[in-house]
Amino acid sequence: MAVSTPSGPSRVRSAGRWFDVRHRGPGTWAYALNRITGLALVGYLYIHLAVLSLLARGPGSYDRFVDLVRSPLFLALDLVLIAGWLIHALNGLRLTVVGLGFGVRAQRTMLVVATGAGLLALVVSAVLLFGD
Amino acid sequence: MIDVETAHAESMYTRRERPTTAWVWQAATGVLLLILLTVHMIAQHFIVEGGLRTHAEVVDYLRSPVIFVVEHLFLGTVTLHAMLGIRAVLFDFGLAPATERRITSWLTAIGVLTVAYGVWLLWAVAF
Repeated sequence: MAVSTPSGPSRVRSAGRWFDVRHRGPGTWAYALNRITGLALVGYLYIHLAVLSLLARGPGSYDRFVDLVRSPLFLALDLVLIAGWLIHALNGLRLTVVGLGFGVRAQRTMLVVATGAGLLALVVSAVLLFGD
Repeated sequence: MIDVETAHAESMYTRRERPTTAWVWQAATGVLLLILLTVHMIAQHFIVEGGLRTHAEVVDYLRSPVIFVVEHLFLGTVTLHAMLGIRAVLFDFGLAPATERRITSWLTAIGVLTVAYGVWLLWAVAF
């Protein structure tokens, strides 16, 4: 039996539905941010593995690299990474709880709590990173 | 009464029916990652005084049996979570079942290679 699937343009429209946050509320924005940060974190996973491969080459290359990443520019990039992780983790947790059918009516409250907790954790991370 | 935003989120993004196996794994690995990443960060930056800053410190750190096991678990969990996430984004394209099966096979292969490389790296550095 032939299976009906969307054609090219409608397929892209369907796939991009989550990305289109125009005229949508904070829940949709949070969901789109969750996916964008997720894709960025997958990219980071492979960058991280590539960087860690320096460890297999011995102390010289790895220690030189660590000296480089202790610069303020790289510490700022670390903070962006932590922000992305916090958005993905806290919002992912909220989506999991809602997806399991719990607290569907309280999801906006959960979003506010997750945002507050995330901002607090980001400030603490910044103090720890730059205060070191 | 459920507001428009809640109804929208319910209809588009949550599983009102029985969750799929992939969704359950994605959620389970996500929760496990919260724990493992917290252990990973605290162990690397706070338990090791001053953090891991040299090759020798990383080698010492990885030679701890508990850390060695935690890092393997972290590698497997993060890779599975990542591959399931990409799969979910790609499946939104409304592809034919045969294409979805091919995508699942490719992502499985990429995931297995990623874990294999990570495990090799962990052993090469630690021993």
